[in-house]
Amino acid sequence: MNRYDLIIVGAGPSGLSAAIEAAKRGMKVVVFDENEKPGGQLFKQIHKFFGSKEHRAKVRGFVIGQQLLDEADEVGVEVVLNATVIGLYQDKEVVVKIGDEVIHYKGDSIIIATGAAENMVTFPGWTLPGVIGAGAAQTMMNLHGVKPGQRVLMLGSGNVGLVVSFQLMQCGCEVVALVDAAPRVGGYGVHAAKVARTGVPFYLSHTIVKAEGDNKVTGVTIAQVDSSFKFIPGTEKHFEVDTICLAVGLSPMSQLLKMAGCEMEDNPKRGGQVPICDEYGRTSIAGIFVAGDVSGIEEASSAMIEGRMAGVVAAEYLGYVRAEEMEAELSVLDNALDGLRQGMFAPKNRGKEIAKTEEGIDISKNLLLHGFVGDDEIERFPGVTHKVGVHPVMECTQNIPCNPCQDACKKGCISIGANITSLPIVVDNSQCINCGMCVASCSGQAIFLVDEDCGDGTATVTLPYEFLPLPEVGAKGKGLGRNGQIVCDAQVVSVKSAKAFDKTNLLTIRVPKEYAMKARFFKAV
Amino acid sequence: MPVTRIKEHPILGVQEKGNRIRFTFDGKEVEGYEGEPIAAALKAAGLMVHRYTKKEHKPRGIFCAIGRCTDCVMVVDGIPNVRTCITPLKSGMDVRTQYGVSDKPFDKQ
Repeated sequence: MNRYDLIIVGAGPSGLSAAIEAAKRGMKVVVFDENEKPGGQLFKQIHKFFGSKEHRAKVRGFVIGQQLLDEADEVGVEVVLNATVIGLYQDKEVVVKIGDEVIHYKGDSIIIATGAAENMVTFPGWTLPGVIGAGAAQTMMNLHGVKPGQRVLMLGSGNVGLVVSFQLMQCGCEVVALVDAAPRVGGYGVHAAKVARTGVPFYLSHTIVKAEGDNKVTGVTIAQVDSSFKFIPGTEKHFEVDTICLAVGLSPMSQLLKMAGCEMEDNPKRGGQVPICDEYGRTSIAGIFVAGDVSGIEEASSAMIEGRMAGVVAAEYLGYVRAEEMEAELSVLDNALDGLRQGMFAPKNRGKEIAKTEEGIDISKNLLLHGFVGDDEIERFPGVTHKVGVHPVMECTQNIPCNPCQDACKKGCISIGANITSLPIVVDNSQCINCGMCVASCSGQAIFLVDEDCGDGTATVTLPYEFLPLPEVGAKGKGLGRNGQIVCDAQVVSVKSAKAFDKTNLLTIRVPKEYAMKARFFKAV
Repeated sequence: MPVTRIKEHPILGVQEKGNRIRFTFDGKEVEGYEGEPIAAALKAAGLMVHRYTKKEHKPRGIFCAIGRCTDCVMVVDGIPNVRTCITPLKSGMDVRTQYGVSDKPFDKQ
C-alpha cells in the first residue's frame, strides 16, 4: 500500500492551500480530486475578490486559482485528478477509485477539503430540462463557453445568485428577474446594486409556483409569499424563460468524515452536517483535519486561510514543524481570517437583521428590498460627497471586509482606515486626478467618478463596465438610474481600458447636470 | 436557432477550444469541440433532453453540470448511464437519448 505523510481530499482552494503549507515543510503530500481539473470552483469565479491585499483582494478568482496551482507545483505537491475518494477507514486508510481501479493508500495524516454541494428546492416542473443549479450555469458559461440559456430567471439573492446573475449578463444572457422567498436580499448590497442598475427587477418575498413546459422549460410563474412562506393568491407573475437557475445555498460534503467516525453535529449556522472541530480544523480523531466549506459554509478567501492553517497543524502533528513555529504561523493566519470574518455578513451575524452600519447610519431599506440604494438614501453615506471638479463617489453602504480602494488612490483621496469593514470616506482637501484606479479596483463596482457641473449644463459620470460590446466614444444612449430605469439621455465621451484596470473598462458618459447623482449605468440605444 | 456559444467574453476573452469534430446524437450528425463535455456540445446545438426516466417517462437534462446529480446520463457508444457533463467529447461518438437504461424508446422495449 502506498504511504504518504499527508493525504488531502479535494484540490480546491482549501485543499491546495493546505498542500502547499505541508509540502513547504518537507512533508510527502498527495491531493486526490474527482474532477478532471484542479482548483475546485475557483476557475468559475470571474469577479474580483473582496478583502485586503493579504487576501488577494481585487484579483479575479480564476487568476487566484492559477496562482495556487503554480505555488503547489513549485513546492512539489502531487495532485491526482479523476480520482474519487470512496472510503476513509480506520488507521487513515484511504480508498480511491481511479479509472476502473480501486486503490488503497495509507496517510499518516489526512485533511478533508471536499467543499460543499448545492442545495435545491422543489416545485412543480423542477425536474424539467432548463432548470439548473447556479453552479451549472457557471460551469457552462465560464469553463465551457456555452450560454446556459437566453432568458433566465434566478432564484436566490445570496452572493451566489447575485454574482451568477451578473455573470449570465456578461456572457450575453438576459436575466428577467431575481427572486427570493426571503424578505431581504441575502448577499452583498454592492453585488445586488450592480445587477439592479442594469435593469434586472428584484422580487423579494417571492418564490416559484411552477416551471412550465413539456420537454423543456418555456416559462415560469412566481408569486409573493407571506411571513410563513405561504403563497398569497392573486400575486402571481409570469415570465417567458428558457432557463431557471437555482442559487439556494450550499451544504457541506462531510460524508467521508462521518464514515471515518469523526464526531459530527447538525449546525445550521455552518450549513448542515459538519464535523466537530477546533478553529484550526482538528477533528475528534487525532490526525484527521478539515478545511474549507466542509466544516462550515463560507467563501473561497477564508477557505484558503483555513487550508493553510490545517496544513501547518498537520505538519506539527507529524513533527515537521515545532509547536512554537506553528503557534507563530497560526497567529498570523488568525489575524488574516479574523479580518475576513468581520462586518455585517460575518458568520457570527448570519440570520441577524442589521439596521445600522458600524458608523451608526441607517442601512438602505431599498437595497434590502429591491437591490439598489434609493436616490433619497444615497446622500447619507460617507463615500458620497460633493465637490467642484471630478471626484470619487463611493456608493459603498454596508460594512464588508474590503479595502482595495484606499490603496488604489495614489493621491490619498480615499480612506477606510485600520478597520477593514469601515465605509470608505473622501479625505478632505485631497485632489482627485481622474485616474480611474479606484473605479477599477472596487470589487463591488460601487465607485464612480463624477464631475457634477462641467459648466455647460452637463455632468460626466465615469462608471465600471464589464460587458460586450463595449460602447464607442460618441455613442448615444440612455442613462439608467440605480434602479435600472431610464432617467436621461447620455452620450459616451470616453472609454478607457488599461492593463491595470484588469478587464474593468471605464466608461465616461455625459448627462444633463441634474442627473449627475442619479445616472449610474449606460444603455446604448 | 439562438447563438449559444460565447464568441468573446468581456473577462475571459476568446476561449480556446479543441478541434471541431463530428459526433452523432440519436443517429443524426452534430458538431462539437473535441474534449469539451458531451453535454456542452449538446447544449450548444440546442439539444436539451438527455434522457427519460424509467417509471414516469419524464424528460431530464443538465442540472448540476459537475457529475454529481446524474440527471444528464445518456447511452454513449453503447454504454448507458454515462455522465455526459463530465465525459469528454471524441470524434465519431455515438450519443443516444436514454430511455430508462436503454437507448430504445419505451414502446420498442
